[in-house]
Amino acid sequence: MSQPTVRAGIPAGSPAADAAQPAIAIQHLTKQFGAYRAVDDLTLEIAAGEIFGLLGPNGSGKTTTINMISGLSSPTSGTVTILGLDVRHQSRQVRAILGAVAQETALYEELSAWDNLDFHADLYGIPPREKRARIARTLDLVQLTDRKDSRVSAFSGGMKRRLALGRALLHEPQVIYLDEPTLGVDVQSRRAIWDYILTLKAQGRTVLLTTNYLEEAQELCDRLAIIDHGKLIAIDTPAHLKSTYGGNVVEIETTVPTQALAELRALPGVRTVALDGTRLHIVTDGCGNAVPAIVNVLSREGDLTQILIREPNLDDVFLLLTGKDLRD
Amino acid sequence: MTNLQADLRVIWACVRHDIKIALTDRIFTIVGVFVPLNFLILLSLFVLAGSKAPTAVVMADKGPLAQDLYTAMSHAHSFSLRHATASQATDLLNSGAIVAIVTIPADFDQRVAAQQPVQIEVRINNLNQDFTNDIRRAVPLSITLFYAQAYPDVVTIVPSEHDLYRFDTDYIPYLAVSILVVGVLIGGLLQSGTGMAREWERETVKELLLAPASRWAILVGKMLAAASVSLAGVVLVLAVLIGIIGVHPVYWGEVVGFTLLFLIISVASGTLLGALIKQRMAVVALSMGIAIPLFFLSGPFGPISFQTPAIQLLAQVFPVYYAIVLQQHAFHGFTLNTLGLGGNVLVLVIYAIGLLTLATFVLRRTTAAH
Repeated sequence: MSQPTVRAGIPAGSPAADAAQPAIAIQHLTKQFGAYRAVDDLTLEIAAGEIFGLLGPNGSGKTTTINMISGLSSPTSGTVTILGLDVRHQSRQVRAILGAVAQETALYEELSAWDNLDFHADLYGIPPREKRARIARTLDLVQLTDRKDSRVSAFSGGMKRRLALGRALLHEPQVIYLDEPTLGVDVQSRRAIWDYILTLKAQGRTVLLTTNYLEEAQELCDRLAIIDHGKLIAIDTPAHLKSTYGGNVVEIETTVPTQALAELRALPGVRTVALDGTRLHIVTDGCGNAVPAIVNVLSREGDLTQILIREPNLDDVFLLLTGKDLRD
Repeated sequence: MTNLQADLRVIWACVRHDIKIALTDRIFTIVGVFVPLNFLILLSLFVLAGSKAPTAVVMADKGPLAQDLYTAMSHAHSFSLRHATASQATDLLNSGAIVAIVTIPADFDQRVAAQQPVQIEVRINNLNQDFTNDIRRAVPLSITLFYAQAYPDVVTIVPSEHDLYRFDTDYIPYLAVSILVVGVLIGGLLQSGTGMAREWERETVKELLLAPASRWAILVGKMLAAASVSLAGVVLVLAVLIGIIGVHPVYWGEVVGFTLLFLIISVASGTLLGALIKQRMAVVALSMGIAIPLFFLSGPFGPISFQTPAIQLLAQVFPVYYAIVLQQHAFHGFTLNTLGLGGNVLVLVIYAIGLLTLATFVLRRTTAAH
């Protein structure tokens, strides 16, 4: 039996896209490049209407995963379905319901903003009678109407990101993936892009984003997955990740670098100790009982110039789980 | 909207889009359009420079027999003759302006009439062996021609020539047709190759690969755009061929048909190259690196059947050879191989289908990775 044809501009809830399905379902996804396994048996589900963040240090397999989700790369094994459609075998249908904002924006810089959207509309089969109105509406949404005839090469980084986001929304996709959507943009544009992303959620669309900004992940994402070496390390809400892995963070500045690292690590309630010059970063179980003992050990070596006890943030969780800073 | 309508719309969108980009990306477009013309000018100059050896004739005797020898030399198809005095000729030879000085001695008529030996002094600037050998061959040939005309009853061995064709085809008109073929090849390779590679270089390929349009529709659209821009270069070469060099086609319909057929092959090859290499400068370098050897291999200066069997076999592997055979028929009316027009066209059609299929396959398999 032939597969139902889904052309571009498919409205949400069309028969081809089953709303009861998870928006994205990844099952035992593996990608092997020779002897190197970039993605290793990854399994996760993203619910419809969710903003889901994919975090991982450089080379962790994020982009490879994203490429397999969008059909740009074929998995070595495993499956990806989007709203019930198999990415490998129903790739055209999947591409019609997927909106993509690539990290490099993939805009034709020699052309105007309007021409970029016009070409996208034709590629995605937006009916000619709707095309002009949709392009105008999109330019209005991303606040680029007054620059519609300007060449994209003259745009700032933030304007390009906004245009790329608008273009991804032009064909009204149900699932949108954003690869580093605010990389290299100014604070004002970042805030505007965050607002667009939150609007998408309000419209019931599913958003998958990768980011190197944990603040962004915390602000936008309903759930996060942390991957490293192609494997899923953790998956949860930002708040639950912090409470599960975070404990308490004690940051202490000393006058001389401490020699008592082994003694500190052996203290009850101390999970990890990291030393950077005269600055100590200690993660405790969270009860706070370890702090007096820590201070006691360090006071024997010299004065303490600063003590800070705080709630953990996602950076701490990420560091704890991967052993790396996200922007390494 | 049916699938076919949607695909046609994508094709049209890609054509408009790529032509628009080609018009903004002027450097590569100018390269694509003018390189074939440049090639025509270059090879024409090469042929003109290498065709006849500039030679000064010092006529110490101005008698009728000496004049006949001069006429015989001018009919030898090897000299570009000029009269000079002995001192003028020496200056010209020393300055490198001429290849040789032929001196007809003062007693030439008298000695020939008396059937006494005559020595014709020939001084050669033997810097270039090609020209030197031309002189070495042409001087004895001129003397033989002179004898045949001056003493027809003495020289009894004369050639009786029977031509295969009604008219001779000069070197430049023959070569010019081959240059048109290589112009189509270079233009098509450059336009489509750089157009395709640009998508990776500028990282816009994701926009194409993520679209729900069929890959073949995108490919056809991009190829049609490249072919349209390449045609500008081909028209330019044709205009120079007809308007300036004076080569007039015998069959205009064939010129158009064979040009379009070979343009499809060139554009498909370029598209394949661009999708595989993904870098415009590399595509430009490789296009020239492919086109020029193929041009020289495929019989641009004369029928490939005059070459060694190994060269003939190698030439027949590539479509340029068949395209030259077809265009020579379109321009001059002769067929250079035994396949006939239909056979040569069939070979090119097979090449076109094969390359289009391969290009589509590569684009289907390709990723956005640069």
